[in-house]
Amino acid sequence: MKDAFKAVFWSFFGVRKKDEYEADTKRLTPQAVIAAGLICALAFVLVLFGIVKLVTR
Amino acid sequence: MSTATHAHDTHGHDHAHAHDHHGPPAGFSRWMYTTNHKDIGTMYLWFSFAMFLMGGSMALLIRAELFQPGLQLVEPQFFNSLTTVHGLVMVFGAIMPAFVGFANWLVPMQIGAADMAFPRMNNWSFWLLIPAALLLVGSFFVPGGAAASGWTLYPPLIIQQGMSIDMTILAVHILGASSIMGSINIITTILNLRAPGMTLMKMPLFVWTWLITAYLLIAVMPVLAGAVTMLLTDRHFGTSFFNAAGGGDPTMFMHIFWFFGHPEVYIMILPAFGIVSQIIPAFARKPLFGYASMVYATSSIAILSFIVWGHHMFTVGMPAAGNLFFMYATMLIAVPTGVKIFNWIATMWKGSMTFETPMLFAVGFLCLFTIGGFSGLVLAITPVDITLHNTYYVVAHFHYVLVSGALFAIMAGIYFWLPKWTGHMYSEGLGKLHFWLSMIGFNVAFFPQHFLGLAGMPRRIPDYALQFTEWNQISTVGAFIFGFSQLLFLYIVISTIRGGAKAPDRTWEGADSLEWTHLPSPVPYHTFETAPVVK
Repeated sequence: MKDAFKAVFWSFFGVRKKDEYEADTKRLTPQAVIAAGLICALAFVLVLFGIVKLVTR
Repeated sequence: MSTATHAHDTHGHDHAHAHDHHGPPAGFSRWMYTTNHKDIGTMYLWFSFAMFLMGGSMALLIRAELFQPGLQLVEPQFFNSLTTVHGLVMVFGAIMPAFVGFANWLVPMQIGAADMAFPRMNNWSFWLLIPAALLLVGSFFVPGGAAASGWTLYPPLIIQQGMSIDMTILAVHILGASSIMGSINIITTILNLRAPGMTLMKMPLFVWTWLITAYLLIAVMPVLAGAVTMLLTDRHFGTSFFNAAGGGDPTMFMHIFWFFGHPEVYIMILPAFGIVSQIIPAFARKPLFGYASMVYATSSIAILSFIVWGHHMFTVGMPAAGNLFFMYATMLIAVPTGVKIFNWIATMWKGSMTFETPMLFAVGFLCLFTIGGFSGLVLAITPVDITLHNTYYVVAHFHYVLVSGALFAIMAGIYFWLPKWTGHMYSEGLGKLHFWLSMIGFNVAFFPQHFLGLAGMPRRIPDYALQFTEWNQISTVGAFIFGFSQLLFLYIVISTIRGGAKAPDRTWEGADSLEWTHLPSPVPYHTFETAPVVK
């Protein structure tokens, strides 16, 4: 699961090393990537919202 | 370009000769009842071109009216109908069906499948487009004229108009159903019908971008259907979803519409990214730089596209926290998009580049889409957007994204695959002429609209103050150059279909997806009846 989060993190940036990506294709299942993607998207929204709260305080 | 020859895989096309008796039936019934992905792809592309000319004619009428201040050619109400239906026709009738046409032609060939997963549903999703188009265009001829509220269909204006709104709502429903069926077909085909050895991560990027686009479509089309259904019940069945007098809220429509509308922008641009990602490596004669990054960036853009819709609504009166959130999120979506631009540039870096027409359109896409992306960043800054909202700056921005972005990629793709589809080479000289007329006409038409917007000229208004005259006149001249040069494109395509030099099987030596390496030009009616083995 940790690998899935790592892959999703890099996907948010949009960059991935070739050997890391080849390792991803071997060790990750689609279910793990989708779950990690949804959790990371939620976390991303919450982090942004936290920054907004900080700025508007 | 080179006429590289190569060894064909015998699994693919050689059966075609033995299967000539399985060729298409003659006449209208071929097209009416066809379940062949190539026929359906062709119909999608011709339909979208017809709608493109129709929407383009409306645009030229708009530009003709705006050639000088005052009211010359059309009534204000009709002008509003023109801007509305031009938008709807171009988005739902021209750009989206064109990409579905490409998907039909290319997805099965690029993954080594014999056809789409659900061929009859494929036929149905195409033929649904015809009644939808008739409803949209026919609404001009009913009492009250066509929808005049802008393509966003905002209430309360939309609640007050005549029966053309109901026709528009029904058209949107039908188009949505067609898109959802098309998406189900594409996803199922990609996930289930790939040739042995064609793993997800070996798929050409065009297939990848369409897989992600299809998921986006399935996610947001029902949202649009829900929004227009609520409009319909507000109009006819006494509900007050968007009517403040009945306890509703018109702002809610904007939120629902743009929750659909922003992913829709990516639905119209991701397949364009896919096409350009096929063309640039072919003409740079280098593999695509950062294939994995491109897949990851596309996925990232798709996810982020769901959390930025509020940037269309900065002037609505959201709390400052809401405006800030959408501003930050919108600026961050530029990161994966920038990754893609850099990857395309890196692909070209030190490549053995040649500039045939498809590459010209692809490079044109790269330059102009970047301008559209940057003006999008300008508009993402809330205080700036509050000044520029509803001005021609916005019109300039989204035409740079959708015309020189999506449409240029479509043109590039047509020139790129036309030799494969027809078996004939198009005229390179005329193709280049078409590119340069389009490039010059487009920029003359739309770049001055940035200046008009910055000077405060509002959009969707048939008249304007005197100081805006010169740039409007220049813009109109450019629009007519761009518009009429598309007739040259029509001539090039028809003359290529009818004849011309024989296209080699691998027309472009740098192109390496299955349709180039395993299939002859023109491709036979049935391909990959036995799946190729991909190593």
